Amino acid sequence: MLPKNLRGRVAFIFEEVDFDVDQIIGVKNIKIQDVAELAKVAMQAYDPDFAKKVKPGDILVGNVNFGYGHPHYPPMRAMRHLGIAGLIAESFSPGYWRGEVSMGFPQVPCPGILKLVERWDEVEVDWASETVRNLAKGTSLPFEPIAQADRDMIAAGGLVPYLKSQPAA
Amino acid sequence: MGFTITEKILARAAGLPSVRAGDDVKAKPDFVLSYDFPGYTDVVFKQMKEDFGIEKVPEPERFGIFIDHMVPAATPQEEELHIGTRKWCAENDVALFERKGIGHQVSAEVGFATPGAFVVHFDGHVSQLGTFGTLAIGIRRNILEAFVRERVSLRVPQTTRVDFTGALGRGVMARDVFHHIVRILGPASCRFQVLELGGPGLASLSTEGLQTVTGLAMFTGAVTAIVNPDPERLAYALPRARKKLEPVSSDPDAVFAARHTIDLSALTPVVVVPPSPANTRDLGEFEGLEVQAGYLGSCASGRLEDLRAAAKVLAGRQVKPGFALHIVPTSQQIMADAAREGLIETLVAAGAFVSSPSCDYCFGRIATMTAKQRAVSTGTLNVKGRMGSPDSEIYLCNAATVAASAIEGRIADPRRYL
Repeated sequence: MLPKNLRGRVAFIFEEVDFDVDQIIGVKNIKIQDVAELAKVAMQAYDPDFAKKVKPGDILVGNVNFGYGHPHYPPMRAMRHLGIAGLIAESFSPGYWRGEVSMGFPQVPCPGILKLVERWDEVEVDWASETVRNLAKGTSLPFEPIAQADRDMIAAGGLVPYLKSQPAA
Repeated sequence: MGFTITEKILARAAGLPSVRAGDDVKAKPDFVLSYDFPGYTDVVFKQMKEDFGIEKVPEPERFGIFIDHMVPAATPQEEELHIGTRKWCAENDVALFERKGIGHQVSAEVGFATPGAFVVHFDGHVSQLGTFGTLAIGIRRNILEAFVRERVSLRVPQTTRVDFTGALGRGVMARDVFHHIVRILGPASCRFQVLELGGPGLASLSTEGLQTVTGLAMFTGAVTAIVNPDPERLAYALPRARKKLEPVSSDPDAVFAARHTIDLSALTPVVVVPPSPANTRDLGEFEGLEVQAGYLGSCASGRLEDLRAAAKVLAGRQVKPGFALHIVPTSQQIMADAAREGLIETLVAAGAFVSSPSCDYCFGRIATMTAKQRAVSTGTLNVKGRMGSPDSEIYLCNAATVAASAIEGRIADPRRYL
């Protein structure tokens, strides 16, 4: 089973390499549990009006080794609450990757993505052809095939539904 | 074309004649380990019953649970978490290791570091079992799969091989080796791969030192690290092993994604400056920087060789008045051994505050720093807020450097004291 294709605007590009996602909400807010509260503090250091600009289905873009450091779950919970539907990065740090894939969050590694898109371009992630398309510019790039279990987990909507779909023995 | 140690271990665990890097497999972990932590074990125990209708894990001897965080408990909620963990272990006949020390070290002491075994945990620092030729991978919340299914889904990782030559000089320790690896290979160099260690210089590194190097593998992007087990590691691990398995090693013609050689004799002490474990610098660049706190401990460091190095630096000297030096041996066993050697007495006499094993110093739950404070630390990590306020700073370094800095109240080169 393939995940649903993503189609949305590039709501933000994190250009920093080895980006530590905790910075999205700020380390001082990492213990906040309430997702609405998290959404209020998210992106303040990058674009204070982010919550007003973003709309459901929008996508984030990251640089090389996205998610390095000691990633926690609240930053991306906040982003999903704001409507973010997926993330495309040049490459991912495995700890971050695994954590968010188990949440069912669609992500793809796509070397060259930073050159392919600009902020607010409309893009599409096509799982069948393993391609990222920049619909605004009519350009595209292949993304790296991800592990079968990761793809199935994204398609199923996360770890628990994925495991329920797997035989018990 | 030969196989890597990782491919050999995963082929056996997957029940296949052979596997290659890149294959998607379902492999049965020989051991499933976890420490109790809110959002992880409490959730897994609940999901097991409520989402999967599993009352009790089959083959409880494959499981091991550790209580090492929030030890001792500081709030009723923390103690409730521990009570839930003790109850689950009793109901499931699963071995519980409480207050024995930091689980990743205790795992080795009690035989989960079985050479040739495949181990999963939610925490990536379990990679240190790789010292003994064990493939131990941290899979975060996917650990649930190991509690509710016999096998876990994974893609067989590629391997970056690092061969050591030579031996470490005075005042240079395993921490310097690891942070040097990050420096020259890069923090993304081993993404989704296994960092494999070998070469003629391996024998010059202590087993404790290799636990340090392998335990930090995640900061190269690796999913784990593994050593081709040599006689010294096997002599430690085989008598303790919880399972009879044939130790394996990489074939000479195994296929590696990359190969590097590091001359240990060329290394010098380093410091990893905030706010990222990717920032390795020469210690000399930061000598003289004022620091108010020091932490010697964690699953990465805090073993006998670390305590010995600190004791050597501090013997007959005093920690600078006002400087908070916390020394936390990694396990009860190590603490007892250190006491027998007289190390604890030396450290206490010098003014160190020595505590029983706990993970809590490493993530700022205790000995918490406030804004503008700065620590030298052998903890695992130096990201913002790791040991308290997001406006405090952590400089990672070796145990001897922590001790030397504690004397001066500023970052100091330990070689002047050794």
